[in-house]
This record gives sequence, structure tokens and C-alpha cells, in this order.
Amino acid sequence: MEKVVQQTDYDALSCRLAAISKGYLPSVAFQVQRCNYHGYKEMHMEYLHSLKSVSRRIHSKIFRAMQNSFPVMNYGTYLRTVSIDIQINDFLKSHSKFQNVQIINLGCGSDLRMIPIIKNFTNVTYIDIDYKDSIEMKRKILDQNRALKKALESDDDGETNRYKLISCDLNDEAQTVRTLSESTSSDSPTIVISECVLCYMDDHASKQLISVVLDIYKTGIWISYDPIGGSKFSDRFGIIMQSNLRESRHLEMPTLMIYNSKETYSSRFANCNVEIKDMWDIFENDIPKEEISRLKSLQFLDEVEELKIMQTHYVLLKASW
Amino acid sequence: MNCNNSGKTYMVTLEGTRQMNLDKIIILLKQGKHIREDCVYSLCIQAQELLMNESNVTHVDTPVTICGDIHGQLHDLLTLFEKSGGVEKSRYIFLGDFVDRGFYSLESFLLLLCYKLRYPDRITLIRGNHETRQITKVYGFYDEIMRKYGNSNVWRYCCEVFDYLSLGAIINERVFCIHGGLSPDITTIDEIRSIDRKQEVPHEGAMCDLLWSDPDEVDTWSLSPRGAGFLFGKGEVDQFLQTNNIELIARAHQLVMEGYKEMFDGGLVTVWSAPNYCYRCGNVAAVLTIDGQLERSYTIFDAVQSQNGMGHTIIPTKKPQMDYFL
Ligand SMILES: C[S@@+](CC[C@H](N)C(=O)[O-])C[C@H]1O[C@@H](n2cnc3c(N)ncnc32)[C@H](O)[C@@H]1O
Ligand SMILES: [Mn+2]
Repeated sequence: MEKVVQQTDYDALSCRLAAISKGYLPSVAFQVQRCNYHGYKEMHMEYLHSLKSVSRRIHSKIFRAMQNSFPVMNYGTYLRTVSIDIQINDFLKSHSKFQNVQIINLGCGSDLRMIPIIKNFTNVTYIDIDYKDSIEMKRKILDQNRALKKALESDDDGETNRYKLISCDLNDEAQTVRTLSESTSSDSPTIVISECVLCYMDDHASKQLISVVLDIYKTGIWISYDPIGGSKFSDRFGIIMQSNLRESRHLEMPTLMIYNSKETYSSRFANCNVEIKDMWDIFENDIPKEEISRLKSLQFLDEVEELKIMQTHYVLLKASW
Repeated sequence: MNCNNSGKTYMVTLEGTRQMNLDKIIILLKQGKHIREDCVYSLCIQAQELLMNESNVTHVDTPVTICGDIHGQLHDLLTLFEKSGGVEKSRYIFLGDFVDRGFYSLESFLLLLCYKLRYPDRITLIRGNHETRQITKVYGFYDEIMRKYGNSNVWRYCCEVFDYLSLGAIINERVFCIHGGLSPDITTIDEIRSIDRKQEVPHEGAMCDLLWSDPDEVDTWSLSPRGAGFLFGKGEVDQFLQTNNIELIARAHQLVMEGYKEMFDGGLVTVWSAPNYCYRCGNVAAVLTIDGQLERSYTIFDAVQSQNGMGHTIIPTKKPQMDYFL
């Protein structure tokens, strides 16, 4: 099961690479202008390149998957990526006066957000956490690649490294508490990210994780992106998704039908101030016209209703405490 | 024509033998079996000859069953025929989008072609926006052929056939059938007849709009979120119905969770015939039968069960990834 869950990172990465190769990402309006990301495509190409020398097998798997991704997937990857980027960026901008702001990316996989963020915000400490195997692979790739390594090295004044890659099984409460206490500070404003991670944990473990993290840090926001199964009687999306993933790759999403709506998903963060939107809300309301017409020009979108069905089953939550 | 894998192929001219062979191929296709490249070639050439003589807007008599998008969902196409009488007994119009997205685009399209060759008067095939070289390269049909044959020949043969498909149909002079919808460049059905259809679908203009446009609650022609075609509203539909003295526009092209959707006081209907679209949308499918009195009746059907009977999920497939955000 652990292996199967780790492999979902290859999906997330290949989706991102596909969206990059078709021009959905980087978004000039959101990522370059608003978040000040630069060299987005290049850093992903570097990562993919070095991944090849770390594991030919994984590389070819990802390479193949990124070749045949449908526009409906590219739209979704775009929405997920830029909307999380914006949330992080807004928080960091409003906390620029703090000496230390930390970002804890739970189940970070191959996410490369830390590269532009570390560069743009000199007060940020960035902690990437995942299973041991995933962390080792990511470390190898980052170590091996001169450009990526350089981007993550300590500041010119030789201060200690602000980027940490730490392995931890988030299902293990004691280990999680220990890891976080050792490597983070509980007083600094904190951004916790879980992008398609809680959905693989069982209910008990995810509850524990949320409560442990909220306990440790005095103040912060939690940004979480996940699928929701759907709560309407006639809505079969979640059940079909569970059985498709089970049959095609033995992957389980234990809480998909428990936290099946925006309301039930928010209830996991009951003591926080919660904002939640589904990704279709975001597509319809938060993406400006010019950006939409840019996306339209990249590929013909063959079925808008399908996009809607999919995106109404994914949510982005921001919980503040 | 001989499509057994016995080595030698030859064309036969006797009609009886031809039909026997078609029947054999139909059986193979229904089982999702591999069809040899030269056999596909021969089918495609015959289909082109037949389709070449059809006009842009074909006349069809009642009773007839109108079917929407299929998108390579072969097993569901078989259910469709089962639930609606079958081509041996009933007349059919397919509104296009036979290929792409599903895992069995080739088999679905060839099955329809074989039926067309075997029962030419009982089946009308209209072109959808997916029946083009450009779209099939993005949406799966091209990759499916490369996977199944190791080269793109069969894809090319099929694309040649796409160019000959009709653009629309008219039932008893009263029901207009089209894949997408209306075009600001088209006022009368006669204007459609003068389009030179034997080409790749252009990126704009009347032919493109007919295959790409969607009805919507808009006051006038508006930009489509798809990047091709237009949105049109009740005003445009009423005008078109009146000008052409028809009572219904039957079109497909948009996923409808309930299988069909009537709009604009029943002046337009969307028919969708791919249940659980892409094996994950959870929708039901429908076909619309128009009888001699032009009465409409809908037949609703669900996706083929997965082998274990645990709900309506997937068809056995070699596709490595499921399209979810993980
Ligand atoms: C779908 S990937 C997402 C990766 C990244 N967050 C992104 O969105 O690109 C899920 C990641 O969560 C990690 N993960 C899931 N459960 C975990 C656990 N219990 N402990 C540590 N990592 C976990 C997996 O190893 C995998 O890298
Ligand atoms: Mn269509």
C-alpha cells in the first residue's frame, strides 16, 4: 500500500510536466507576475533530466504519462497548481515582517515550489516531508543537479540552509510529533500544505495528523487540496473513482466518501477559520477572462461538462488558526 | 474480402460473399478482436465510395432512433443496439463523435461502418467534431491505433472516411440532426448543402460551427468556452426552426448526466449516448426514437458492469493510468 501511495507522486509530477509542455504552466499572470516565479519550466526540465539518471524506469513511466494527457487534465493541473501558489504567496507577502516564516509541505513528493519561494522570501524556512523512499529519491535528484542544488543552497552570507528534506511516515503519530518538534519552531507563523495527501490516509490517522499539527504551531494556515466523493444521492463520481483506482492500481482513498462535500471536508478543521472552494468555483470566479482565453488557445477543450464534473469533485481549503 | 488471419487476402465481388464477410467482421468487432490492417483498408475504401454519394444533409424516414456521442465505448454501443432494437430491425442516425476518449475507438467506428455497408438504408452516420485528424491526435484515437498496429496507417484510412461523412440529416423534413448546433453563417438548411464537406474540419466558418457549437441561455451568438464554434440561444433556435419549417433540432456533443436534455420549449434536444463517460463521469446515456407521428420517446441506459459486479466502473483495459488528479 505504501508503495502504491508513493507512486501517486509520479502522477502529480507527470501532470505538472504535461501542463508545462503544453504551455498551461507557468502562468505569466499568476505565477510569474503575481508570485514572481522564474525559470519554472527550466527547473522542471532539470528535475526530469536528473530523474533519468536516478531511475530510468520511473523516468520513462513519467515521460510516457506526460505525453498523453488530455486537455481536461491540463486544466485541472493548472487550477490546482496556481491556486495553491497564490494562497502561499499571499500569506508570505502579508508576513514579510516576520523574521521567520515556515512552510511545511506534508507529502511533498516531487513538488518544486520550494525553489522559487526560498529565493523570493528570505525569511522562509521550507520543510519538505514524505516517506523515506520518496525523500531519498528527491534528495538524490536535487543533489545531483547543479542548477537545482545551487538554487537551494544557503544564502550568499553563508547562513544555514533554509531548505530541509525530511522523511517521516505521517501515519505514525509519535514519529510525526518528534520530527516536527526537532526540525521546526512552534512560534513562527506556519504554512502547512497537503496537496493530495490526506486522501490516502485513513480517517483516524488523518484526524491525528491534523490535531497534532494544529497543536504544535501557535499560528498559521493549512492549505489542503483533495478530491471529494460527492454528497448528492445521484452523484456516483466518488464511488466510481474508488473502484477505478482500486481495480486499476490497488490504490485506496479511505475518506473520499466520508469527507464527500465542502462542508464535511471543512469539518476536519473545526477549530479553525475555514475557507473552502471547489475547483470549479475557482475556475468560474477567480480566473480572469484573459487567462481563460489564453488557456482556450492552447488546446481545444472538447467537453466543458466533464471539466465541471471533475473540478466540482476537488476542493481547496484554507484553514487559519 | 477475406479478413481471417490465414495469410492470403483477396477481394470478392459476389454480393453474397461480401455480406458473409461483413457479418464475420461484425462478429469479430463485437468481441473487440483485432482486425487486420488490409481488412480495415478495404472497409474504409468501400465506406468512402458509399458515403461519397450521400449529400451533406441526408434525408431519413421515420421511425428512427437518434444516437449521440459514443466515444469509443464499444461495450456501451452494443448495449445501445440491444436496448433499442438493433440495426437488423430499426433505423438509426448517429450524430458523430464515434472515436476518442474511450478505449475502443477503432472497434466502435468500424462496427458502425460495417453496419453502414451491410444495411446502408438503416444507418446514417454524421460527422462529429472528433472525426478529424487534428482532434484525434490529441484525444486518443491516434494513440490507440499506434498501440494496436504499431503504425498510423489505419488511423489515416479512418480519417479519409471522416472526410466523407455527412454533416447533418433531416427526418421527414421536420427534425434536423446535427452534431453540435447552429452557425451564424447558416440561415437555411439549403445553405449547408452547398458546403464542400470533403475536407478536414476547418477551425472556423460554417462547417466548424455546425460541429462545435452549443446551445446556452444567451441572448445572441456568443463565444464558446471550447475555443471553437459559438454559443447560441433560444432566439437563434426559434428563428432557425421557423425559417426552415422544422420543429426540432436534435444534436449531441454535450455530456448530459441524465442522458438527454430538451431546451427552448422543446425546440432543441441534446442526446448523449456514452454512459459513465470516460469510465468516470457517472452519467446515464440516452437515445431518442422519433416515430411516424414525430412523437419522441427516450430510452435510457447505463454503462456495462465491470467484471466483479461492483457498480458501473471499468471495462477490461490495458490503459496504464486512470485520469484522476492524484
Ligand atoms: C499524490 S502525491 C502528491 C505530491 C505533491 N504533494 C504534489 O501534489 O505534487 C502524494 C504524496 O504524499 C505522500 N504520502 C502519502 N501518505 C504519506 C504518509 N503517510 N507519510 C508520508 N508521505 C505520505 C506520498 O508518498 C506522495 O509523495
Ligand atoms: Mn462533440
